[in-house]
Amino acid sequence: MITLTHYLVLGAALFCVGLYGVMTRRNAIALLMSTELIFNAVNINMVAFSRFQEPGFAHGEMFAIFVIAVAAAESVLGLAIILAIYRSRQTVNSEEMKLMKW
Amino acid sequence: MEQFLFYTFAASILIAAVLTVTVRNVFHSALYLALSLFGVAAVFALLGSYFLAGLQILLYVGAVVVLSIFVISMTKHITGAGAAGTGRRAVPALLTVLASGALLTNAILRTDWGASFAYSYGAGTDAAAIGSHILSDFVIPFEAVSVLLLAALIGAITIIAKDGR
Repeated sequence: MITLTHYLVLGAALFCVGLYGVMTRRNAIALLMSTELIFNAVNINMVAFSRFQEPGFAHGEMFAIFVIAVAAAESVLGLAIILAIYRSRQTVNSEEMKLMKW
Repeated sequence: MEQFLFYTFAASILIAAVLTVTVRNVFHSALYLALSLFGVAAVFALLGSYFLAGLQILLYVGAVVVLSIFVISMTKHITGAGAAGTGRRAVPALLTVLASGALLTNAILRTDWGASFAYSYGAGTDAAAIGSHILSDFVIPFEAVSVLLLAALIGAITIIAKDGR
C-alpha cells in the first residue's frame, strides 16, 4: 500500500539531490537544471497532498500548475542572462562571474 | 501493481536525478534531467492527475529541457574542468544534503497526517475541474501569471537583443 508518506519521502529525496546539484555545480546552466529538480520535488508534494488529504478537489494541482508556469518564466530569464554573460565574458562558470562579488 | 509502479518510477527519478547532478558532461546532464522529469510525469499519472502529467511533459521535457540544450550548444566548455562537482566542494555539500535529508525524513515520519483518505487508483481529477478552478477561485493568480509570462518574454528579448537595435 503506497501512502502519502511514500510520496513525501520521494519528494524530500529529490529535493536533496537538487540541493546537492545547486551546491556543487559550477556550470550556470547545470545550476538552473538543479533548481528544476527542486521545483519538481515540490510539485510531487503538492499533488500528493491534493490527492490524499483532499480527494475530489484540485487545489494542490492548481498550485503545481502555477509552480510550473513560474519555473518556465524563471528558466527563460535565467538562460537569457547566462547567454548575455557568455556573450560579454565568454564563460558560463559561476565561479568566474564575480564582477559584483566583494 | 501500484507498489511496483511507484517503486519503479521513484527509482528512475532518483537515479536520473543523481546522474543529472554528478555527470561531467552538461549535455548528458540535460538528457538525464529529461528522463527524471518523465518519471515525475509518470508519478503524476499514478496519482491520478493526467492533465498535469501531460502538462509536465509538454512544458518541462518539451520546453525547458530543449531550451537548456539550445543554450548548452550555444556555449563552449560543455565538458572538462569545473563542469561537475569536484572534491573540494563535494564533501561539505554531501554532509549538508544528508543532514537536511535526515531532518526532512524524520519530520515526515513523525508527523501525524490525520485521516488520509484511502483513495482508489485510477480515479483522479480531470481537466474540466482544473479549468473551472482556473476561471473561478484562482482567476486572480491566473491573470497575474499571464502578466508574469508576458514580462518574462519581453525581459528575455530585451536581455538578448543587441544594444541599440
